[in-house]
Amino acid sequence: MNTSFYAYLQQLELLGFFTGYPLLYAATLFIAGNQPVKNNLKSRVVSLLPFAYALVGTLYLGLQLKNLYPHYSFENVRLSIQHPWLTGWAILAVLFWIPFLAKKKVLSLFHSLVFFFLFVSDLLSNLKQPSSGAAAIRNDMKIYTGSLLFNLSAFALVVCLFFIANYFKRKSQ
Amino acid sequence: MKLLSNKTLMLLLLIISGSGYIISCTHDDDLLLPPPASNTVVITRGTHIHLPGTLTTGDSTQWKVDKAHSGVLWSTNYVGAAGLLTGRFNQFGIHNVTDAEKQNYITTGQPVKDTSWAFYENEPAKTYFNGYVQINTSNTGEPGRDAGCNIKAMGTTLIVPGTQNLTDSNIAQIHTTKVEFDPLSNDYIVTLNLTWHGLSPTPITQSIVGKLKYVPQARVQFGTAAAYSVFGLQLEFQFNCRDFLVASTSISDKINIECNMNFNNK
Repeated sequence: MNTSFYAYLQQLELLGFFTGYPLLYAATLFIAGNQPVKNNLKSRVVSLLPFAYALVGTLYLGLQLKNLYPHYSFENVRLSIQHPWLTGWAILAVLFWIPFLAKKKVLSLFHSLVFFFLFVSDLLSNLKQPSSGAAAIRNDMKIYTGSLLFNLSAFALVVCLFFIANYFKRKSQ
Repeated sequence: MKLLSNKTLMLLLLIISGSGYIISCTHDDDLLLPPPASNTVVITRGTHIHLPGTLTTGDSTQWKVDKAHSGVLWSTNYVGAAGLLTGRFNQFGIHNVTDAEKQNYITTGQPVKDTSWAFYENEPAKTYFNGYVQINTSNTGEPGRDAGCNIKAMGTTLIVPGTQNLTDSNIAQIHTTKVEFDPLSNDYIVTLNLTWHGLSPTPITQSIVGKLKYVPQARVQFGTAAAYSVFGLQLEFQFNCRDFLVASTSISDKINIECNMNFNNK
């Protein structure tokens, strides 16, 4: 991994966007799955998880485009992106807008686990640093908390939009 | 994903997240700051005593006001809202001007001696001073204002060249009533009476609290000239000009006064 500060910042960006999703995913399924009778509403809400993830991916893509603005040349993109594979992988999250992929919601979990493992490996490597490790872990956890809230907000927004759209759809019928 | 695997995933994620939070909540690496040396203000006062005596030239025990290097400055917010409007009084002195002395003097210098003061560095109860300014010598650097609207607004008359106007309507006086140590600094808290006739039919007196700073005695010598000693007194106070019936809307209610007095024993 590139150890420059700029690369570290880009890694934190990735963690900030995507590490909160696995816990949100597991919690949502846990809550929905614990109910004795699965009603239609809950299964619908759970099915919106990949769309929330796609929204997060879209926002990440937007941030990258904003950072690169107005120099979108291949050379500039190559020089600016410090983690090209991870960034490319993150941008793939927008594919979950496609209903076919969104139906396979476990794919969104697998997709986000890449970043969660990155987060865990960062935690473990910081544990070995006696001097600056605790401060770095504290920072990582702040970002993780932010990511949790961010993903939760994205999910709440998608659920709200879904119900609003549903309401108008029913009204028009 | 089935319920069991959801539970396992949930548990795993919670363990990892919880461990991270627990580790990040320890404060092992927090910097241990040394305790502050002291929060108490260190106040040091000497035992200097400065008296004017009879202002005999060459008597180093008698302290004279160095008027050329002293000043009485005023400042107030322009129209009560904007930046500071500032000025100074060209003619002033440290003298208790009695009723008999309140008259016009045909002279270019100050007609009364600067002898109405005493300063005891370590015995503020013995310290006192009386001073005055000639209102019509207010100098803001704008002749049109100083000899124009300012004269009318302050209820006085224009300067007559070669004359010192110490009449009742043209002087503002201060008389200290109490000087005490400032418990928070090396300075002194001064209670004084400000008396100004101004636009009022009779002189108005207000009791005001100000702050006095003593710039300790020091020995100076320039070139081959004889060495001599100097010290300074800086008095700051505020008053409300509306209390003295000043109605001008060009100035704020609050007027700041700063008296910078330098003394030498030449």
